[in-house]
Amino acid sequence: METIRDLIPPPHIQGIKHFVDYALVDEILRSKNFRQGSHQESQPFFGDSLLTIDHDVHFERRRLQAPLFRKEALEYYEHKELLPLIDKALEECKENRDETGIVRTDLCALVRTMLARISAVTTGIDDVDTPERTDAFRTYIEQLGTGATVEWSTEDHSEVISRILKIREGFVQEFYGPSVERRKKLIEQFRNGDLSEDELPRDLLTLMYLHWNEEWDEELPLREATLYLVASSQTTTHAVPHMMIHLHEWFEEHPEDFEKRFDRDFLKQAGHEAIRLHLPSPALLRIALEDVTLSNGTTIKKDERVACLFTPANRDKTVFGDNARSFNPYRETPNVKPWGFAFGGGEHTCIGRTLVTGLSARTDNDEGTDGTLVNIAAALYKAGIEIDPLDLPTYTELSHHDAYGRFPILLTNL
Amino acid sequence: MASKVFNLRIDREICQGTGYCVRISPELFELEDSLHAKVLNDAPPAEFEEKILEAATLCPTRAITY
Repeated sequence: METIRDLIPPPHIQGIKHFVDYALVDEILRSKNFRQGSHQESQPFFGDSLLTIDHDVHFERRRLQAPLFRKEALEYYEHKELLPLIDKALEECKENRDETGIVRTDLCALVRTMLARISAVTTGIDDVDTPERTDAFRTYIEQLGTGATVEWSTEDHSEVISRILKIREGFVQEFYGPSVERRKKLIEQFRNGDLSEDELPRDLLTLMYLHWNEEWDEELPLREATLYLVASSQTTTHAVPHMMIHLHEWFEEHPEDFEKRFDRDFLKQAGHEAIRLHLPSPALLRIALEDVTLSNGTTIKKDERVACLFTPANRDKTVFGDNARSFNPYRETPNVKPWGFAFGGGEHTCIGRTLVTGLSARTDNDEGTDGTLVNIAAALYKAGIEIDPLDLPTYTELSHHDAYGRFPILLTNL
Repeated sequence: MASKVFNLRIDREICQGTGYCVRISPELFELEDSLHAKVLNDAPPAEFEEKILEAATLCPTRAITY
């Protein structure tokens, strides 16, 4: 099957200037003369969240949230939350044994389950503990993700927004509301001197209610929480299936590398390649704050929206070499980040990038965590992952994203 | 107790020039015209520890090591 596809710009980015060269995309993302121009239809889900605000306000919001991504916090998420949850999710898979004794499951759903709890912990959603609650929570995240990326949907956009807003009410009632209420009470106890700050949960919702800004609307924490929930699981859920299929092909062509499926450095580079080639956000829009002339002479008028197409930029031969369009876990990218624009760029670079790729910004600078991609891939190989030869993966038809909708696997060592 | 010794550095190849580090600590960082941050003092005294940690965590590309 075809595993590397070109980006076909969806309707919402047609008819505006496109930038596909790595250097120009980088220039636009770094420039202070632009503001965020994506997520206009998805405002009900992401409006005024960290993703959609710029400059001073963005800096202050990011500064507020930065403690969640300190080295100690990341080490805690990975070692105390992620690794046990990966094991637990695989253990639960054993219930899906077929009549021949083989464990079968869907990789997309499995990865979402593995990440659900860590998304809950960083965001501040309680009671995602039993398989039933995790399953319900995972489904909500999936649905919220559909609403938050409605611009890319192949369905009727207004119908998607109405449907997901309704679903969000259930999420608020079942998960979000009780979690917020608990945090408000704890903060009140802290303010009354009955609790120390160290006894408060360390998550997004606690931070926001503890440092409430009068300019925020009441629903902002819900939209910020939606961003955290969707983003913290989407990148990895999107990337792992691509990583597995590319490695499957790589091992077929390079059988001598098969033993490296447990080599964490090899997996790290494979993960970088997978997200370089298959970006969870394949394009972002920017709006010029004033007339701008780029270094190549292109002019952009004030208030003009332009599209940075990350997929072709991440396959730019001048940056990633002549074989930029292919998967190569040995690729060297001395002058750029190995994942290119997989986490955006400039001030909007994804705040949670380290959760996915580990603390090191580059492959040669390991600082203590490996990130979700390496840990999940290593666990899948230990569990004996094989792509189901009788039921091959298929791409989603509900979105223009380069994403798998179904990815049946066998776990032969469970 | 010996005070912590820092070796403050910025990886220029991944620095995106947001200037966040400069806003956190203009005593330690400066933004060049090329939109790359530069370290002004690579061995700052221990009193800067909190600012160094904040700048390193807040840097969108985590280009700061210490």
